[in-house]
Amino acid sequence: MNEEPSGPAVDPRLLDLLVCPLSKGPLRYDRLRQELVSDQAGLAYPIRDGIPIMLVDEARPLEEGEGIPSSIRVD
Amino acid sequence: MVRAVFDSVAERYDLMNDLMSGGIHRLWKAALIDWLAPRPGRHYLDVAGGTGDIAMRILDRQPLVGRVTLIDINYQMLRVGRGKAINKGRLANLDWVTGDAMALPLPGNAVDAYTIAFGMRNVTHIERALAEAHRVLRPGGRFLCLEFSRVFLPVLDKLYDRYSFNVLPLLGRIVAQDAESYRYLAESIRRFPDQATYLGLVRAAGFRNVTYRNVSGGIAAIHSGWKI
Repeated sequence: MNEEPSGPAVDPRLLDLLVCPLSKGPLRYDRLRQELVSDQAGLAYPIRDGIPIMLVDEARPLEEGEGIPSSIRVD
Repeated sequence: MVRAVFDSVAERYDLMNDLMSGGIHRLWKAALIDWLAPRPGRHYLDVAGGTGDIAMRILDRQPLVGRVTLIDINYQMLRVGRGKAINKGRLANLDWVTGDAMALPLPGNAVDAYTIAFGMRNVTHIERALAEAHRVLRPGGRFLCLEFSRVFLPVLDKLYDRYSFNVLPLLGRIVAQDAESYRYLAESIRRFPDQATYLGLVRAAGFRNVTYRNVSGGIAAIHSGWKI
């Protein structure tokens, strides 16, 4: 797939382990944007070069109406 | 502040540790691993894990551990560490995560042991980091913290003070081209609570059977506690 991001992939076991550091709620993996999205907190945490950045002050606030695309839900 | 300091020193961090402590930090870390006694199949969390020093030692001591998750607030340190791990062919069972000790991105009751070596001193609110440590540990889980502490030997304490405020920043300037960062380290060591005070904080976070051991006359101490 040419949508595949470059750099090392994130270990699926790690995705299973992590939660939102703010809400401690579940995260969904947005493979295309390389983000871990917390719908509860309304924040998207970036993944850089396979390393998740689970810091609130480096997360992207979700825009209004940025819903849960069912096609990429993993939880 | 902490993040900026460590961004600038990440590349030379390991070399600096050796020079600063005359290599003694290796013995302290070995003492931490001795006390931890890693066991097969268990999940270890190393917070403020930096370039993976403690994580590698856990894996070296017990290759059959289930997993080591390494969390550090500094992305650059993790990248340097992961690069080292790749060069050594050590990647399996190791997770690298940028995160804050005061807001861990892990669910409750997730790990069997929590270690933090020379990281608690850099946390803004120690109580919050300890509360998070307690939360993510499974019942029966172990907390171990290696940190600079109070020298209790009368002559050593004077020498040590002179060393940390004069020699340390000089070393920092020469080796890491950054005296300020190492002056910050010296000051943060002085601000950190002494052995007994810190033991009280660990206990107040809910840990039980809390004890500590001094290493090198109290230059550093290892605190241990259990989540019951």
